[in-house]
Amino acid sequence: MLTRIRNSPPRYWLVVVVILFFIGLPTVISSFQASEWAQVLVLAIAIMGLNILVGYSGQISLGHGAFMAIGAYTFAILIHRYRMNYLVAIPLAGLLTGGIGFLFGVPALRLSALYLALATFALAVVTPSLIKRPAELTGGVQGIILPPVDPPPAAGAAFTALTGTPMTSDQWIYYLTLAFALVLFWLAWNLVRHRAGRAMRAVRDGEVAAAASGVNIAGYKTLAFGISALYAGIAGALFGLAVGFVSPDTFPVSLSIQLLVGAVVGGLASIPGPLIGAIFAYFLPIESNQWVPAQTWIPSQIASTVEKAGPAVTYGVVLILIMIFAPNGVVGLVTAGYARLRRRLRGAADRENGQMPPDPQTV
Amino acid sequence: MQELLQQVVSGIATGGIFASLALALVLIYNAMGLVNFAQGEMAMLATFVALALIDHGMNYWIAFPVTLVIAFAGGIAIERVVIRPVERAPILTLVIVTLGLATLINGLAGFIFGYVPRAFPSPFPVQTVNILGALASYQDLGVIAVSAVVLLAIYLLLQHTTVGLTMRAAAHHPEASRLLGVRVSWMLALGWGLASAVGSVSGIMVAPILLLQPNMMQTIIIYAFAAAVLGGIESPIGAVVGGVIVGVTVNLAGVYLPFVGGDLQLAVALAIIVGVLVLKPNGLFGRPSVRRV
Amino acid sequence: MALLELEEVRAGYGPTSVLHGVSLSVPEGQIVSLLGANGAGKTTTLRSITGGVQWTGDIRFAGRSLRRMHTEDVVRCGIAHVPEGRGILTELTVDENLKLGSHLRRDGAAVRKDYDRVFEYFPVLRERRRLSASTLSGGEQQMLALARAFLTKPRLMLLDEPSLGLAPLIVRSIFEIIRTINTEDQVAVLLVEQNARLALEMSSEAYVLEVGRVAVRGSSSELTGNDAVRRSYLGY
Repeated sequence: MLTRIRNSPPRYWLVVVVILFFIGLPTVISSFQASEWAQVLVLAIAIMGLNILVGYSGQISLGHGAFMAIGAYTFAILIHRYRMNYLVAIPLAGLLTGGIGFLFGVPALRLSALYLALATFALAVVTPSLIKRPAELTGGVQGIILPPVDPPPAAGAAFTALTGTPMTSDQWIYYLTLAFALVLFWLAWNLVRHRAGRAMRAVRDGEVAAAASGVNIAGYKTLAFGISALYAGIAGALFGLAVGFVSPDTFPVSLSIQLLVGAVVGGLASIPGPLIGAIFAYFLPIESNQWVPAQTWIPSQIASTVEKAGPAVTYGVVLILIMIFAPNGVVGLVTAGYARLRRRLRGAADRENGQMPPDPQTV
Repeated sequence: MQELLQQVVSGIATGGIFASLALALVLIYNAMGLVNFAQGEMAMLATFVALALIDHGMNYWIAFPVTLVIAFAGGIAIERVVIRPVERAPILTLVIVTLGLATLINGLAGFIFGYVPRAFPSPFPVQTVNILGALASYQDLGVIAVSAVVLLAIYLLLQHTTVGLTMRAAAHHPEASRLLGVRVSWMLALGWGLASAVGSVSGIMVAPILLLQPNMMQTIIIYAFAAAVLGGIESPIGAVVGGVIVGVTVNLAGVYLPFVGGDLQLAVALAIIVGVLVLKPNGLFGRPSVRRV
Repeated sequence: MALLELEEVRAGYGPTSVLHGVSLSVPEGQIVSLLGANGAGKTTTLRSITGGVQWTGDIRFAGRSLRRMHTEDVVRCGIAHVPEGRGILTELTVDENLKLGSHLRRDGAAVRKDYDRVFEYFPVLRERRRLSASTLSGGEQQMLALARAFLTKPRLMLLDEPSLGLAPLIVRSIFEIIRTINTEDQVAVLLVEQNARLALEMSSEAYVLEVGRVAVRGSSSELTGNDAVRRSYLGY
């Protein structure tokens, strides 16, 4: 019995539980909260993209917010200017961003991790002013306001049948985002398990060895950049849809840092990591801003300063502490804890069977 | 022609500001192979300290060195507390830590000093002086002079003092240096302190122009990246030359290229960074290095 | 009491242990050689002394235990370690390398005298003072390493294969200078050498290491005369 549990970690049922949770969520929370959770899922998609790049191919991008901006603006322009259906515009925006990411990946090949970090960070800082320039296309400082979307009749009817209330636009966008998130997480999971994923990890863990075993390093690194940008692009498009407008200030450097926080907190090179990271990165600043002033025992002066410092200080502290104490993030902590528990269980079982556990010192 | 000359002088002044920050980046890069993304924010915080001192009635020219000393101590403290625990970690970890540090300092400055831009005094008169037919402002000349003095001081410290020698030794060959009694870990901290002090010069010099607020250095750090990369990120002289080139280029592009104007100057810096990294990764003064994979 | 004493020192790299209880001592002002095949643990013994590897047991220098001391503090007690590969800082000039040797000393006049002596021993270093240390040949780098070690004014020098990769003539002259430093300044030397004949000529006492243990210990003349030792451990 124990063996079976050990050999099949509680993964599949957990996945089912998580999916059911997200499907059922809007039926118990308000429409406003649903729009918040839609943004969490948007973040999760973008963080998954970053995770594919950083966690699985060992490259780095401190400017993933810029790719989100490209996706969001492509989406907005397609809808606003060319009156395209938003359901078509989202994947198109993703593909275009992915293409740009792929092209970006070519010069990125020549850069060391440090230089890549530097260049992408610079890109993130410059992005807002680059967006403002072609004002005709991007609406300049004002940005572009997007028309609201209505839930399709079938989805609305199903929702009403289930909850007895009509489906709001926010709830529809939530489900749409969830659908994209599910598909993209499933794709990522397949990607890392199969050939391309193994090759990417081989490249990350040692380029020379990977090259020696016939892996096309340049190909996989650029591919990783492209896929990663595709995720960010779709996330950007969904973000535009969820917020209802895009403007240069929607994509500041701090967005890129928020993505990085999410990736690092959840744990790099893991599939559930981005989701956990996204929940954390989205709610941490909001919750800490609501929680701290509500505490009567904290002097009001400190509370108000904490509120003002807001996400920046918390993000900074979290980034530093995680890097120092848990470089593999939450998922890393859980996995390590689980492995320890398993070892202990196995040790106990072996003692019961009269076998000596292997001495870890000699292995 | 006269206007061009004026723009060049003004570009050199901005370049001096970039050079100080770029030199700070180079100092830390040499000490531990790391680009410190928090360098600009550290300078910003130091500039707030300088303003606080001046507001409390301290003379500018006393507040200036006092700020440098405080920034020096602050840099050492940051290294000991934040960087030391991850000293041997992979480069990605270090980069993320410095980015976290940048975010943290930015937020801290925001809630201590607020986000309202503040005027920062300049010790230099606003008049202009005629040099070779070009009008140069005392402000620009003053910035050039201060930057030159600071950069020269750093050069002398590194090349002609024992501390500078041991710092360079620790940076290049930590193991061999330890065997000669050099306290390598302490040298890293000193490097951070020194970088923090040099970087804060750029903050103090730029604050009268940009107005002081927590995001003041966010663009300056990009120009400093461009300067450091252009000069070859391990070369102190390269940082200075790179700073001046970037300063002049950006200034001229802003004035003479209608497409660039005021709001795309930052994009010029980005173009320099990407261009240099792709075409000549070692910059102007960097040594070609064996790529470690 | 000997200047340097190792007692049952065990050391290794991660899970692989290299030294399985090495005891040896270097008396004040004497040259002691440490011989043995590749991988016997000679370099690890030296690295243990200056804290380059984790070790257990006890190491005492001038009566003081070196346990838990950092490399830079051990060195500051008066031990100069010329490591494998000589530890030349190739980014710096010859002069700067020498300055690193003397940078902790406060006896200015004596330092200047020692520089004069160094340049007397190794005139080539004076000629190349301003050049980058990377331009030196192997023999010159070994001279620089030795000169730099001498300038720290040590009571004990740990020399790791000073003859490695050098022409025989240069080896001769370098070893003569080691002997001069030893006799004139009473600097003790722990000498790790592949060239056993040369090492035994130099030293008063010798240890032979075999897979991390002291296999033989004796005066150098004894070891030179012992046929069995010579055949099995020294290989000539």
